[in-house]
Amino acid sequence: MNDHPMLDDIALYALGVLPAKRAASDDPNAVCAETVRAHLATCAICRKEYADLGPAANLIGLAAEAPADDAARDRIKARIMAQVRRESVVPLRRPERRGGTTRSVVWPAYLVAAACFVFALISTISNLALVGQLRDVKTQLAQTQAHSSSLARNLADERTTLADVMDANAKHYAITDGEVITRGRRIYVALHDLPEPPRGHVYQAWTLPKDAKAMKPSVTFVPDARGLAVIALPVDAHATDAVAVSVEPDGGSKAPTTKPLFVVPLS
Amino acid sequence: MSEDAARLMGRVRERDSDAFEALYDTHYRLVRGVALRMLGDAAAADDVTQTVFLKVWTAPELFRTGNFAAWIVRVTRNRALDVLRSRAQQGACELPESLPELDGIEDVALARIDAAQVRSALADLPAEQREPIELGFFGGITHEEMARRSGIPLGTIKTRIRSGLRRLRSALDTAVRA
Repeated sequence: MNDHPMLDDIALYALGVLPAKRAASDDPNAVCAETVRAHLATCAICRKEYADLGPAANLIGLAAEAPADDAARDRIKARIMAQVRRESVVPLRRPERRGGTTRSVVWPAYLVAAACFVFALISTISNLALVGQLRDVKTQLAQTQAHSSSLARNLADERTTLADVMDANAKHYAITDGEVITRGRRIYVALHDLPEPPRGHVYQAWTLPKDAKAMKPSVTFVPDARGLAVIALPVDAHATDAVAVSVEPDGGSKAPTTKPLFVVPLS
Repeated sequence: MSEDAARLMGRVRERDSDAFEALYDTHYRLVRGVALRMLGDAAAADDVTQTVFLKVWTAPELFRTGNFAAWIVRVTRNRALDVLRSRAQQGACELPESLPELDGIEDVALARIDAAQVRSALADLPAEQREPIELGFFGGITHEEMARRSGIPLGTIKTRIRSGLRRLRSALDTAVRA
């Protein structure tokens, strides 16, 4: 049944039952959504499996349609439509007093002054403590928001990459252990079974602009623990004639210093 | 149903609240049904239903093309997973990743499938395949959690899910052609 090692995992990914990422303490061979996405970018067999099973898995929820319940329908609808129609905010009006029968209490001036002093003292002490707490909370909130924004950006980038490489209009240029993929103006390099570069070295991508004679330096990268690397190149595919990757000293080079692993002309 | 929904979504993008109301009337049972099945709590399901439809109103551009019902189910499942996550903050239960809402894996052939056809195709699966699929989709747990709870080996769970999804795909293709 299992004619390809990751096909079962593709089914789990399509059903949405994989955890997003693995914790550092987990088994490094355990599969998560992140590893499947990276694998999908490099494996045409698994992309086809996902294209088959994904739409079927998406439809499973249709089986859970609830029986008609007019009361529930109208109750929820009223709540939703109230928010939908709330396009202008009506200012709150103070209700008019009726009858004029309420009795006002007159406090002596010295009691009012004493109460004000005690209130001011308590407020000052509380405020000093609260200001400190508030500062800490704001710092934590800012850090959390920054982290959350960064995760959201990464996830959005990963999904754009996946959608691009799976797109029927994407062009795939096969190389040993990987592909160069173009979709519209974007270019991706997807490699698998890539060994760790030698100590003090990284992989570096190179692009050849149209009508240029020399390669221009692009991003540097290292593969993950499984030897996978999916890199988006920050150049316009329409203005690029070729893509290459070589091993370079840490930090990258201005011109290739080693023989490229591959050079792929983009036609 | 799908074509109608797609047309209504076009009007929703133009801020047509009548179109939005019509979409709600035709899909609230689906959204509430998924939320109810995942959360097992009518009040929480009502809240999720409200959140999902407000998302349809405030961000209609998120639906691009394909089967609207399948898309809104994905949105609902993700919101219900958020609720389950907030209930299980101490990590008592391992929760899966949300389903992508902009995945681009819609299949034109299945765009017109309806709830009765999906129910029938699921019901025809052998119980050993249907149960982990439904538990995974509606139970909001990972395949590893399933294996831990059931005592069934992880590899067996994986194989049953894949075989079940392949069989489901084949049954849905047949239903579309019939």
